[in-house]
Order: sequence, then C-alpha cells, then structure tokens
Amino acid sequence: MKFCFFHLMPFTGVKEITPEWPTPNRMFDSARAHELYRDYVETMVYAERCGFDWVGCNEHHFSPYGLMANCNLIGGALVYPTKNIRIAMMGNLVPLNNPVRVAEEYAMLDCMSGGRLVAGLMRGIPHEYIAYNIPPDASWSRQREAIALILKAWTEPEPFGWEGEHFQFRQVSIWPRPLQKPHPPLVISASSLESARFAGEMRATMGMVLISDLGLAKECIQVYREAARASGWEPTPEHILIGMHTVIADSDDEAKAALREARKYFDGVLMGGMRTAGRLVLQKTRYYQDEANRGRMQNRLAKREAATLEEQIAGGMVLCGSPESVVQQIRRIHAELGNGIFNFTMKVGDLPDAAVRRGMELFRDRVLPHVRHL
Amino acid sequence: MKVETRGSGRALVYLHPAGGVRWTKVLERLALKRSLHIPTFPGFDGTEADAGVKTRQGLARLVGDYIENEIGAACDVMGCSFGGAVALWLAIDRPQCVDHLVLECPAGLQSIDPALRNNPHAFYKALFAHPEKISYESKPEEIEARNRAMLAHYGAADGKDSQLLENVSRLRATTLIVHGTEDRIIAAETMRLLKSRLARAFLVYVWDAAHNIEVDQPERMGALVESFLERSDAFVVPYA
Repeated sequence: MKFCFFHLMPFTGVKEITPEWPTPNRMFDSARAHELYRDYVETMVYAERCGFDWVGCNEHHFSPYGLMANCNLIGGALVYPTKNIRIAMMGNLVPLNNPVRVAEEYAMLDCMSGGRLVAGLMRGIPHEYIAYNIPPDASWSRQREAIALILKAWTEPEPFGWEGEHFQFRQVSIWPRPLQKPHPPLVISASSLESARFAGEMRATMGMVLISDLGLAKECIQVYREAARASGWEPTPEHILIGMHTVIADSDDEAKAALREARKYFDGVLMGGMRTAGRLVLQKTRYYQDEANRGRMQNRLAKREAATLEEQIAGGMVLCGSPESVVQQIRRIHAELGNGIFNFTMKVGDLPDAAVRRGMELFRDRVLPHVRHL
Repeated sequence: MKVETRGSGRALVYLHPAGGVRWTKVLERLALKRSLHIPTFPGFDGTEADAGVKTRQGLARLVGDYIENEIGAACDVMGCSFGGAVALWLAIDRPQCVDHLVLECPAGLQSIDPALRNNPHAFYKALFAHPEKISYESKPEEIEARNRAMLAHYGAADGKDSQLLENVSRLRATTLIVHGTEDRIIAAETMRLLKSRLARAFLVYVWDAAHNIEVDQPERMGALVESFLERSDAFVVPYA
C-alpha cells in the first residue's frame, strides 16, 4: 500500500463566512500568506520523513479553499528538499490551461526531480470554469483534447502542429521532454462513472475523492477496470487512488473533536463561495453532461453533507481516530475497494498545523507499520 | 487521363485517394481561390485503365506530363492517401513541376493492416471518425468495387511501395503532412518517419479526424491547407 500526503494549502484565519463568489479578496492577508506558504511547504517536505510515498497538491482559483493557482510552483519548491518521494501534481486543470504549457512545466518538474513526477490531468470542479471564463459545457471535450495534445507534446520526437477544436498550434517541440519514458504516470479524477471510464481508456491511475458510499465507489472502479481491459491493459491496485480527509490523533475522541472543529471552517469559510458558484454551474450548464450524472453528483454531495461524523467514518468517507482505529478503517476500505494508494488530506480546514504534524508522526510510527504490506 | 478543373487563380493539382474523386467541402473551399485541377487516375471512377501504367510512379509521370503540357509551370500539389503516394513520386521525379506539396495521410510508405485491407466493411469504417459529416453522394457499388480493384493494378494492394521510402529524401519541395489523430489506416509513426526524411516538411495532426480528414474536419483542414499554400513557411506564424 502506498500513501500520498496531499495538501490543499487553505488560507486560514478568515473570520467572515460568506456565500459570495468569488470570495472577496479584501479578506486576504499577504503577510499571513507568506507565513502559510512557508509552513505548508515545510510540512509537505516533512511528509517524506513520515514515510509517505507521494506528496501532492492541486490547482484552485479565487477562494481561500486553496492557495495554489499554479501548483507547479509548489512542486518546484518541493523538488530539491526531498529525495525519493514522488511529486504528485493532482493536478493541473487541463481544460483551463494552455496544454503545451502544462506539458512543459510537468516535463520541467520531471527532469528537476529525477523522474519523480506523477502527472495529474484534472477536469476541475465546476466553479473553476467561471474563474477562467471557460464554458463548463466544453469541459469534457477540452479535457480530452488537452490530454491528447499533452501526450503528443511529451512523446513526439519531431516538431508537430495541432489543429484541434479548442487548441491550435502550428509548431510544438517542447524543451525539456520528461525524464520518465514514454511519459510520467498519469492520474485522472474518476469520481463519476464517465470520468472513471475515461481514466481507464487513458491508462491513468484513477483518483477518487468525495466518496459518499463504498457502493458507488465500487461501481466506478468496476467501470474503470472494464474500460482499461477494453483498451488493452490491466490496472493494478496502485492504479486506484482513494482520497479523503484524514485526522489521526492519540485517541478517537481527540481526533473526532479536532475534525469536527476543523470542518466548521472547511464547510463554512472554504466551501462558502465555491458552493454558490458550483450550484450555478450545475444548474445552468451541461458540466455533468446529462440529468442522470448531475443527479448522481448532487445526491452524493447531499449525502456527504447530511452524514454525521460517525456515519462518515463508517461509510468510508473520512479516516478519523486513533492510530489503531485508522489502521482498521484503512484495512476495511482496502478490503472493499482493492485500492493500492490512499491520498490523505490531513490539513482539514483550519486544523492547527501542530495537530497535522502530530497526525503525520502517528501515521509513521503506529499506522504505516500495520498497513504497508496491504 | 480525364481532368476536371474548377475555379480560377494559382493552379493546384489534387490527386485523389483510392475511393476516386469526391468533391468534399475542402475541395470546394480551395476552388474558391485556386484553379483546381483534379485528374482521375486511369481505371478509377469508371474510366478506362491504361495497360502501360501499372505503378504509382507511373501515374506520377502522367500527372507530370499534364502539368508541363497543360498548366505550363510549377504548381502546388495536394495528394490524399493513394494520391499522396503519387504526389510523392511526382515531387521526387519531376521537382520542376511541384512548388508546395500537401500530403494528406499519404499511403505507400507502410503496409496496410491486413485486417483492414481484406475487409472492405472494416476499411470503410476506419475511414471516418464522423461518417455523419459525409457531404457527397455515394458511388454505385460496381464503381466502388472497381476502384478497390485498381489498387492491385497499380501494385498497391498491400499499400506499401518499397521504392518510395528509399527515395523520399530526394524530395525538395516545401511540404505539409497532415494526419488525423484517429487514423487507423496510416500510422502516426509512418508520418513521423516521412517527416524526418524530408528537408523542409511540417507535420500537423488534426484532432478528432480519422483517415478521411476532409470529411471529418473540413473547416480545419481547409483553413490549414489554405494557410500553408498562401503563406508557405510563414503559415506557422499566427495572424489576426
């Protein structure tokens, strides 16, 4: 079993809960951000010493939810203070960006890190499309085309041009090309049936977050496996990544109390504006392509929000408790889903960084030895 | 050799694929700015075969004669698939006839997958990513069958012309190679190999197009070819 220490880099300290979108940046404090970036990067570097196999982060815009408009900058900051841990960009939102630029920056990270890049090629969550003025209706077609172009940019030995629906380039010949051949391993989000199918077709690791119940997760994995087989390959457990909020403390009660408190900030401040924007996109566009998909996603989010913490732990939506409890939770989810990677978001909301570090150390000392072999 | 001409302006000779001549939207667009010359290779589309011409190189000689005798100067040449192989021979053997060269998924450089070659239905399916975009009339089945049979007549049943790849590095014309990202008939590797052997060539992939790019993505294909022929090397520079 492999483990990824994932960081959203939330902006903490906001007192006002607002449903406005975008979140007004009058609440932003640059001096605080300066401290946060340094602390967060140091925590991410520390993940290597805590036994994590990957360290990950991702891209978000226009809100305190995450401070990484370009997570590749953070990737660059992680490369030299670490030695072996994989740098997982999970990832760049390819429909919103210039795919050639994504290919170039990922190739830089791969060369700089000595071939440690895990390349996440994500579609993004709906509100990001408002931020970058891209029609959400085009998210799927843009993602498919952008990924095809990125793969070409990485693998073509000769300059080439691209005439696409969304992207046009008359000459592409990137310097550098990735160190890993034919290209770095891919991660594609696969939290819906459609995206799971796509990840299978693309020979990518499937990344699932926001699990509302293990049954739906199993369904996505089944679709992923079928699509992979139809495309001529067989996924291993390490191609299935399951991500969730994770709080490990010395006792169950302490962990639950910490997560409950941190989730207030997460749900109130960090998710406030995003929820508003997300609702608009879901109502007014074909981001989820059809009613069935839209309904499934809305049910999933509603189910997560309605669940108590105990129900979330029981349903495999979060990992929370003492090291011994978390070991049991990991074993159960692994037995149900057959995944080979867990993606821990341990900085939940405004959970104090000392508590995050304590959780990382408990993971290293009292969780990892019991689950590494899975 | 029967030749259809349309439009006015600088001459462009279009060499057709194994399916024969079809007036696609791309050709209609090019004929708006160009004097388009479209020969029908002997034996195709119900014409008489020429017993003295049995290779794609031989067809290139016929086209070269036409350019020299009827057009009277070097002109731009565009060849599609089977016609791409003929265009390559023309540019190699009669460089004085060819100014700019457009190769649309040119055949002749590799063998066609037997699973496609020996199954007309599978082959037809592999031609298009978007068959719903076909804008031309279908031909009678006997014409289609005869066109297919002409491949053997020209020694092209297997698809590969072993002499062609050995000679392509002699080609000097500025060349645009166009390939569909969904093309299962001609492999991208072959296009890369071709480009690597040409002195002045550009390779452009058309997204969401199979072998018949003119049908699958007519707007993009038309604009690309037009831009290349009008601006030569400078077609790589964006303009408003």
